[in-house]
Amino acid sequence: MTQQISINEVPAHGLAVTQAADIDVARLDLEVDAVVIGSGAGGAIAAYELAKAGKRVLVLEAGPYIPSEQFSEMMAVSMDTLYQDHGAQANASGDISVLQGACVGGSTVVNAALCFRTPDYYLELWAKKFGLSNLTPEVMAPYFDKVEANLHIAPNAPHESSPGARLLKQGIENLGLPAGNAKRNIKNCAMTGFCFAGCVSDRKQSMLITYLPWAVAHGATIYADTRVTRILAEGDQANGVEAEVIDQQNGEVKCRLTVTAPLVVVAAGPIQTPLLLQQSGLANTSGQVGKNFACHPTLSITGMFEQDVDNFYGATHSLYMDQNVMPEEGGYLLLDAIQDPVEASFQAEPGTGEPYMAYMSRYRNSVRLITLIHDKNVGEVNWKNGTKEIIYLVDDQDFEIMKAGLKTNARILFAAGAKQLYIPSSQPLTIDDESQIEAVIDGLANEPARYRYTSFHPQGTCRMGADPTSTVVSPSGETHDVKNLYVVDASLLPTSIGYNPSETVYALAHYICDQINQAHA
Amino acid sequence: MHNLPDNTRAALSRVHQLSRRDFLKAAGGLTIVASMSTGLFGAAQALADDMPTEIRVMSTSEYAVMHRLMEVALPTTGTSLVPPTSLPVMQTLDAALLEKMSPPLLAGLKEGIAYFNEGPREEYDKSFVELTDAEAVAFCDAWADSNEPPQRALAMGLKKLVGLAYWAHPPTWEPLGYGGPVTERWGLESLGNAPMPLSDESTTPTPQG
Repeated sequence: MTQQISINEVPAHGLAVTQAADIDVARLDLEVDAVVIGSGAGGAIAAYELAKAGKRVLVLEAGPYIPSEQFSEMMAVSMDTLYQDHGAQANASGDISVLQGACVGGSTVVNAALCFRTPDYYLELWAKKFGLSNLTPEVMAPYFDKVEANLHIAPNAPHESSPGARLLKQGIENLGLPAGNAKRNIKNCAMTGFCFAGCVSDRKQSMLITYLPWAVAHGATIYADTRVTRILAEGDQANGVEAEVIDQQNGEVKCRLTVTAPLVVVAAGPIQTPLLLQQSGLANTSGQVGKNFACHPTLSITGMFEQDVDNFYGATHSLYMDQNVMPEEGGYLLLDAIQDPVEASFQAEPGTGEPYMAYMSRYRNSVRLITLIHDKNVGEVNWKNGTKEIIYLVDDQDFEIMKAGLKTNARILFAAGAKQLYIPSSQPLTIDDESQIEAVIDGLANEPARYRYTSFHPQGTCRMGADPTSTVVSPSGETHDVKNLYVVDASLLPTSIGYNPSETVYALAHYICDQINQAHA
Repeated sequence: MHNLPDNTRAALSRVHQLSRRDFLKAAGGLTIVASMSTGLFGAAQALADDMPTEIRVMSTSEYAVMHRLMEVALPTTGTSLVPPTSLPVMQTLDAALLEKMSPPLLAGLKEGIAYFNEGPREEYDKSFVELTDAEAVAFCDAWADSNEPPQRALAMGLKKLVGLAYWAHPPTWEPLGYGGPVTERWGLESLGNAPMPLSDESTTPTPQG
């Protein structure tokens, strides 16, 4: 059922959001045409596209609504207010920090805005191995064009860089490697370097200032602080959700919400989406819900330079080196990143006490270069004993890829002028000279709790494919088992893609919304 | 592990035999904290007599361990760095990091803190809070390079926590040469919401209000 919705102008600032503080009843029953779970990359696009098509859309976001003018530009505060589990989400062995946004706008609020189109290699691989022959490069190209236009995705202007990136670029070029100029969804970047803490001046074109206000202008309603606890279905048809509005001050349930909707779109992210399906007991005859988790583990090498580099203001990311990004060519990507003292404080282990403080005292001299690997889908996400569990150990072959990436990383840092490199291991480990690179990196063993990994790209837990016995979601985005239940987040990805996946999610979300609107006109 | 009650010795022995995964699985089930909370933490209790009243999540024993780790991991004598004892680092750790943890994670961490505090007993016949500065540094470095994954995880994880709670404070940045937030200082204006995309082929918007 659809109805014509009047269209309002997009306000200059802010977003109309119903928050826990706005609700003073213990129960609410709502009826809409489509309920969207999550307000990040996939959810916001779904909300916009479905509302634009005339549907009454309700977006339920578990995280709080933090207007951009309230962003702190302090990483520790941002982790607390904007990130999943207040920044403490990790795999079960605790050695991979899995970072996701948990606020209205989701991870798009706290990512570095890097955008890459899905390489044709993966689209072709997905067609061959997972029956996704519908997602050809030709079919997907207009969707990439669309999101690039809507989100102002463009290559960095020459000045959009950072002091560290300029050194690293020289290092890359000194080695005869290709220096990639990143594309980002940013308009007139102010070069504050606070992408990971949220963009106060709204230069980053996150969902918070794009698709969500556009969706609201088309009549969509957004509830923050609202955690969906169960997807409802009758027979093989989804028909709504149950949710709880949580008082963010004390964590207590303020209101229980039941939403009746003939269309349920899940975009809670690759950790929460499978957990929600597991809790709901839905869409899992394949047994694949929560399986096939990949996360693009990253390790950063920190280089110490003789001079003050001051690599803390500028473009958060601006430079990459992707010569080896395809699996046959290595399977790793190198990215520059600026960092504030809080981030720098846990990137290396120089030794307890005085060595550590001496290291931090040289913060102005430090530049880090990230190695990100295309990893195998060897992990899983489970709802167990009332809590989530992310089981993921770096695969041995993937670790060899990481080592190859770290070697190139180290060579670039030395070629850029670094005098000493810190390997992010649990014990003090440095490379003091270029001649030591091979020996030091070859000596690394794949051991749990040995390295300081960070993952920005969880993915793959409700993979998409034609075969209902081995995949969760059909090529149209609808779950194989439950009709009118769609998934539009990074849990769809059948394999990891080696690059930042945000643009892939944006384009897939648009594609799936077209399928939804055709099927539910 | 001398002078330990039998049940605690058994529990610690079990912990030492745990694989990484076992340790994590056991985090919610072991009763180490409860069994050690009086006897083993006697010294810790004495050291924690001045625990700030704002500490709500850490027990006095846990506070003593983390406070001692802060002293050992973040020495500033002879440097221009801000002494951690001059900042509410423990309050930050308690309120900003621990209070927000999910109950299972927090329970695991509390067990880990107890395990960490008892770690030096075999070699030094002392708990962590009783070690000298040099012994405590050596112990942390030894665990960071241990063959036991739980020991590596704790050495890395607990130091990370006190580090985060320290470097989160803006006064710690000035000696590093870092200026902190800039948007207001640089006078940056917000660009606000993006206009509806040109590809939107809807009817003409109705002005709001």
